Amino acid sequence: MSTPASIGRLARHRVPGTSLLAWRNLAHDRARFVITLVGIVFSVVLMGVQMGLLVGFARTASSLIDRAGADLWITAAGTSNVDITGTLPQRWRYQAQAVPGVASAHDYMVQFAFWKKPDGGNESVIMVGIDLADPIGGPWNLVEGSVADLAVDGGIILDRLYMDKLGVRAIGETLEINNRRARVVGFTDGIRTFTQSPYVFVAHDEARHYTFVDDDRTTYVLVKLAPGADREMVRAALAARMPDVRVWTTDEFSRATRVYWLVTTGAGAALTLAALLGLVVGIVIVGQTLYASTIDRLPEYATLRAMGAPNAYLYAVILKQAAISAVLGFAAGFAATGVAVAISRTGNIAIDMPAWLAVVLALLTGLMCAAGAVFSIRRVMRIDPTSVFA
Amino acid sequence: MSAPVLALRGVDLTYGEGATAFTALRGITLDVRAGEFTLLLGPSGSGKTSLLQVMGCLLRASAGEVRLFDQSLAGLDAEALTARRLRHFGFVFQHYNLFPTLRAWENVAIALDLKRVPAADLRGQAIDLLGRLGLSDRVDHWPAQLSGGQKQRVAIARAIAGAPEVILADEPTAALDGRTGIGVAAALRELALERGCAVVVVSHDPRMLPYADRVLTLEDGAITDDRPGGAGAN
Ligand SMILES: Nc1ncnc2c1ncn2[C@@H]1O[C@H](COP(=O)(O)OP(=O)(O)O)[C@@H](O)[C@H]1O
Ligand SMILES: [Mg+2]
Repeated sequence: MSTPASIGRLARHRVPGTSLLAWRNLAHDRARFVITLVGIVFSVVLMGVQMGLLVGFARTASSLIDRAGADLWITAAGTSNVDITGTLPQRWRYQAQAVPGVASAHDYMVQFAFWKKPDGGNESVIMVGIDLADPIGGPWNLVEGSVADLAVDGGIILDRLYMDKLGVRAIGETLEINNRRARVVGFTDGIRTFTQSPYVFVAHDEARHYTFVDDDRTTYVLVKLAPGADREMVRAALAARMPDVRVWTTDEFSRATRVYWLVTTGAGAALTLAALLGLVVGIVIVGQTLYASTIDRLPEYATLRAMGAPNAYLYAVILKQAAISAVLGFAAGFAATGVAVAISRTGNIAIDMPAWLAVVLALLTGLMCAAGAVFSIRRVMRIDPTSVFA
Repeated sequence: MSAPVLALRGVDLTYGEGATAFTALRGITLDVRAGEFTLLLGPSGSGKTSLLQVMGCLLRASAGEVRLFDQSLAGLDAEALTARRLRHFGFVFQHYNLFPTLRAWENVAIALDLKRVPAADLRGQAIDLLGRLGLSDRVDHWPAQLSGGQKQRVAIARAIAGAPEVILADEPTAALDGRTGIGVAAALRELALERGCAVVVVSHDPRMLPYADRVLTLEDGAITDDRPGGAGAN
């Protein structure tokens, strides 16, 4: 029962009329079908890349927060994102530790600095200072060196993606950050920054020196809750003890950071607009080619109608043409998007394609083709079956 | 005499409204019975096609009454009329109106599919019907590969598929040469009548006369003559 011949026989017997007509209409207008598919592929790639960039940018923008594993972030009042912030008295870490429900509190520094490449030339970087005694929010995806190596005088860890940008090749190379000597002790892989100023991981107290922050200050206190502690109660208790701070949950601060960067840079709007453009282009192309094919076949639709086909039968033929186009166009478009995603892995800008985004893309493709079918459906809705007697 | 399948009583049909209104049918009273082959003659513009469309639930009468199986069609909406067409009528057109992207058997299968014949039976039934029309060796041909007479035979198979009670044919032989036309007329009569269909054929073609039980002549939208045909005389 599984020979090609028997499958062919089965198909001949089982394919209902609307599917047969839909498929034959497409197959007989081959040039038009190809244009439709190219249009859908173009649209899927455009939407996929733009939305993938948006998701990638969003994930990149808040990666420090999402990876730190803290429950609460204490920041200076008025802070809107993780990369640009004021400072706090470092003793608040101890105050935080004294609040019931707090399991641990950690210093965390994030500050811009200027990096002087070994061969001259400057780049801006973001120094990320972690408490080596009790590290949290440290470098992840380490491929060379270890966090403990940061204890070396002037030791820094950075990401391989930025080797060229920062002009370093290997562990042991030295350079200057804000005129202080630093030495590369490790590399991570895949820690991007939204700002394109690379994160440079360093011991917390060293970070202070590199960035001219006073000895008794830091930028964040990260809090881990004791098991069973009520997050909101701890948050309120922390806020009550410390003036001029804001206490965020990880989710809140992460979201605020993503929104800040995507909105202030216009990246969010630009990418969304480009994705919408892809959708519109897709609707127009599908609508246009499907409509042209429907107009060519009006006499056939009129014949069906005269034979007593309900309107739904005609709509089914058109919608199935749209659906076949959608499935094939999406498959090809998604494969092409996958290539773009794979290429982006090796670069500074990530295109993310989580499963949910693939589902969204598939739904948008379906929506696009259904919307394209509307023009044709509106035309056959008005068809006059007496026209077949002319 | 059996009850008429279709009964028209004082039917008028007016196209358009107001100053441009044109009355194409006036006072048509007519019964169409099962197993009867009716030929509609008349000059061009006399209203033959209009009458066929009124009988076939494609147009609504402007006045008078049309009854199908003794049920009035008055007040039925477009979808209800469409459902009547599907259930009770088969149409044959002058220009065949086959689906060019479907093979011969698929053209017939579409009519069966519309009438909800199970998908597994479509090909068998379609081939059977085409065989009755002498097209056993043409079932997998595309319409473009068929002669005019063969196309019209496929169209007849499509019209009788699903066993409708009424076959309406508008000038089915007009595009065919004489010999072919006669063959098509004979096939139409034989197949339709053996199934107990009522057949109404519009034609200018005098060669159709021998196949008719009854011949109606239409002039200016009115029936001016109603007599037995060649077949009816036997
Ligand atoms: N849709 C229409 N609108 C207006 N007039 C029509 C329409 N269809 C047919 N007619 C007119 O009705 C008359 C009868 O037409 P028709 O039924 O097609 O005649 P036949 O089939 O006998 O040639 C003709 O004068 C024709 O011009
Ligand atoms: Mg006519």
